[in-house]
Amino acid sequence: MPDGSFAHPQQRQFNPYTDNGGTILAIAGADFTVIAGDTRQSEGYSIQTRYAPKVFRLTDRAVLAVNGFAADGNMFVKKVKQRLEWYRHAHAKDMPLRAIARLIQTMLYAQRFFPYYVYNILGGIEEDGTGAVYSFDPVGSYEREACRAAGAAQSLVQPFLDNQIYFKNQKAAAGQTHPTHLPLSDVLSIVIDSFTSATERHIEVGDGLEIFVVVTKGHSPQGLESIRNVQEVTTRADTDRMFVIRRELKKD
Amino acid sequence: MEEALEQPQLRVFLHPLLHPALLPVSYPRDIRPTWSSIMEYNGGSVIAMVGKDCVAIASDLRLGNQALGISSNFTKIFPMTNRIFLGLPGLATDVTTLKETFRYRVNMYTIKEEREIEPETFAHLVSSTLYERRFGPYFIEPVMAGLQKAADGSLKPYIAATDLIGCLNFAKDFVVAGTASSKLFGVAEGLWEPDLGPEDLFETISQTLLNAVDRDAYSGWGAEVYVLTKDKVIKRTLKGRMD
Amino acid sequence: MFLTRSEYDRGVNTFSPEGRLFQVEYAIEAIKLGSTTVGVRTPEGVVLGVEKRVQSPLLESSSIEKIMEIDRHLGCAMSGLTADARTMIDHARVTSQNHAFTYDERIKVESVTQAVCDLALRFGESVHDEDAMMSRPFGVALLIAGIDELGPQLFHTDPSGTFVRYDAKAIGSGSEAAQSELQDKWHKQMTLQEAQILVLRVLKQVMEEKLDHHNVQLAQVLPTTGFEILDEVRLKEIVDIM
Repeated sequence: MPDGSFAHPQQRQFNPYTDNGGTILAIAGADFTVIAGDTRQSEGYSIQTRYAPKVFRLTDRAVLAVNGFAADGNMFVKKVKQRLEWYRHAHAKDMPLRAIARLIQTMLYAQRFFPYYVYNILGGIEEDGTGAVYSFDPVGSYEREACRAAGAAQSLVQPFLDNQIYFKNQKAAAGQTHPTHLPLSDVLSIVIDSFTSATERHIEVGDGLEIFVVVTKGHSPQGLESIRNVQEVTTRADTDRMFVIRRELKKD
Repeated sequence: MEEALEQPQLRVFLHPLLHPALLPVSYPRDIRPTWSSIMEYNGGSVIAMVGKDCVAIASDLRLGNQALGISSNFTKIFPMTNRIFLGLPGLATDVTTLKETFRYRVNMYTIKEEREIEPETFAHLVSSTLYERRFGPYFIEPVMAGLQKAADGSLKPYIAATDLIGCLNFAKDFVVAGTASSKLFGVAEGLWEPDLGPEDLFETISQTLLNAVDRDAYSGWGAEVYVLTKDKVIKRTLKGRMD
Repeated sequence: MFLTRSEYDRGVNTFSPEGRLFQVEYAIEAIKLGSTTVGVRTPEGVVLGVEKRVQSPLLESSSIEKIMEIDRHLGCAMSGLTADARTMIDHARVTSQNHAFTYDERIKVESVTQAVCDLALRFGESVHDEDAMMSRPFGVALLIAGIDELGPQLFHTDPSGTFVRYDAKAIGSGSEAAQSELQDKWHKQMTLQEAQILVLRVLKQVMEEKLDHHNVQLAQVLPTTGFEILDEVRLKEIVDIM
C-alpha cells in the first residue's frame, strides 16, 4: 500500500509450466512399429504454430514421441540424443530400444522433484526384431505395450485403440481367435482415423500429421505402397528401414 | 462487570453439492467444491446415435458415491412416449426428480393437446424446463432419442442433447453426455458411419459405450441399449466389466 | 634397470628423458613376482585358472581368493598385489551394476575393462582442492573374462592402464613359460573341457609344488550358467582326467 501498511497482502507466483496441447500415438506390429503425432502447437486458445514436430528419430530403430510442455519436451529429446551419442562412443554400438527405455526412465526420475512436464512414447524395433512401444509418465514410470495414445486427445483415442487393436469387448468368431498383431496397412488406417477423429472433436489437435514407420531389417514394408507422401529416411543399408508419412489435418 | 464474549466458532460442513456461487468469497479455494465434482458425484454416461430409419440410445448402469460403487442396476434411460427415450446422466437425485417432472409435463401435454408429444417438441420442453433453473440448475445433461413424425407420415430419426441449463444440441450423427463423454466422443467419431441398419447401429452404439466406459472410473458396471425402429423398440441389457 | 636408479624414480608421474614412467614399469615388474594366472577363451566360454601358493601347512588354502566375480556374466583373475585388485574389482562391479540399472542390459566385457583401466593412471600427488588420488600405480594385472553379444572374450589389463584382448593369456611369475605353452596348444575350436585341462597343464608345468585340487583354482564363464568358481569336487574330477 502507498501508506506502507499491509492491509491487502498480495501473493505472486511463477508458474514454470504450460500445456502446449497436441496428441501422440504409437502402435507395435509383429515386425514394425508406427509412431505418430500431430504438428499443432497451442497455448490456451491460441495456435503458436501449425508445424512443430513432436516425433523424433533417435537411432536407426528408435523413435521418440514427446507431448506436453513443448520447451521441456524439446530439451528432453536433446538430452536423450546427447546420451545416445555418448553411449555410442563408450560402447561402440547404437543403444538398443529397451536400453533407451530404461535410460529415459532414469533421466525422467532424476527430475523427480522438478519434472519434465512431458508424456513420452518410445517406439521402434527390439533387438529380437519385434516391434515395440514403451510409454512413460512424466517421472519415469514405464511399460512395454502394443499400443498407446497420450496427450490432449488421449481420452478420445485410447478407448478406440482398446477396441481396434486389443479387440476389447469383441468376441472372436467361433473357433477363431483375435490376431495379436495387425498388418501395417490396418495399423496405418487406424492411426489416420484416430487423428482425424481427434482433430474433429478436440481443438488442440490438428494442422498436420507426422507418422514414422520403422520396419525390421529384411521384412517388407507391405501396406506402405498405397500411401501418399511416404519418404524413406533410412540412413544406412542393411539396417531396419524407417519411413515418414506426412499428411494434412483440418486446420479449424 | 464485563462479560467475556465467546468468539462464535464458524464451522463449515463440507458437502460436495454446495454450489460455489452460494459460498462466501473467502471460502478457501482448495476445499471449495467445483462444478465438475458435482457432475462426477454419482457418475454415469449416456449416448444416442442416428441410423437409417432408426435411432439408438444407450447408458451404463453404475450408481456411485464418488469412487465408491453403490449399484449396478441404476437405470438412466426412461421412455417418455412410445417413440421418445430420455437419458439423464448426472446427479442421481436429479435423475429421479427430472424423470418425474418430465412424466408430469408430458402427461399434461398429452391431455391438453390430445396428442402424443413429438421428439423435437419434447426437446424444447426439456430445454425450457432446465432453463427455468438457470441460476440453480439440475445437475443433469439430458440426451434424447426419438422418431419424429414427418409431414408425409414417415418416421425420421431424431436425437438431441442439452447442457445442464438447457442449451440444445441437435446433431445428425451422435450425441454424448456424462463422465465418459470425452471417451464416447473419441470412439463414436471413429466407429460411427451414416445409414446403419438397426442391428449394425446396435453393435456400433454398444461397442462405443462399452469401450468408452471401460476407460472411465465413474461409468460402467453393465449397460442398457434401446434401438427404436418404426415398428418396434428393442431393449438389450449388456454385460460389461465389473471393475 | 634396477641398478641404475635416477632422479626420475622419485616422482610417480615424471617422465624420464627417454620418455618412460619408471614407477609404472616397476609396477609391471611387480606382477612378475605374483602367482601364475592363466585364461583361455573357447567358443563355448572362457576358463580362468590360478595357482594358489600355500606357504604353510597351517594356511587355509580355501581362504586364498584370486578369482572373483564382477557380475553374472563377468569374472576376473589376478596376479600381483592382490590387495590392489579389490579397488579395481569394486570399481568394475559398481560400473557393471550402474550400467544394468541405467540401461537394463549387461555391460560389454570391453566396456567394463575400459572402466577398470580408466582407474589405473589416477595416481600421483593430489593438487590443492582436488580429491585425494592414489599415491602409486596399481601393482596388479587382471585377466577379465566374460560373455556379451560379441561372444566369449578374455582381456588382459596391466598397471599402465593398457588393455588387450587375448585368446589365451598367462600372467605372473611363470607367465613366460606358460604363454609359450598356450601358444603351442591353443586352437580355435577348443572345447570347454579341453580348455580346462589346458589351463591345469600349463599351471602344472610352471608350479613348484605338485598340482592338486587344493593349490589351484578354476573358474569359468559360460553363456548358460554365467560366472562360477569350480568347487573342489569338480576341480578334482578335472585334475584326475588330466
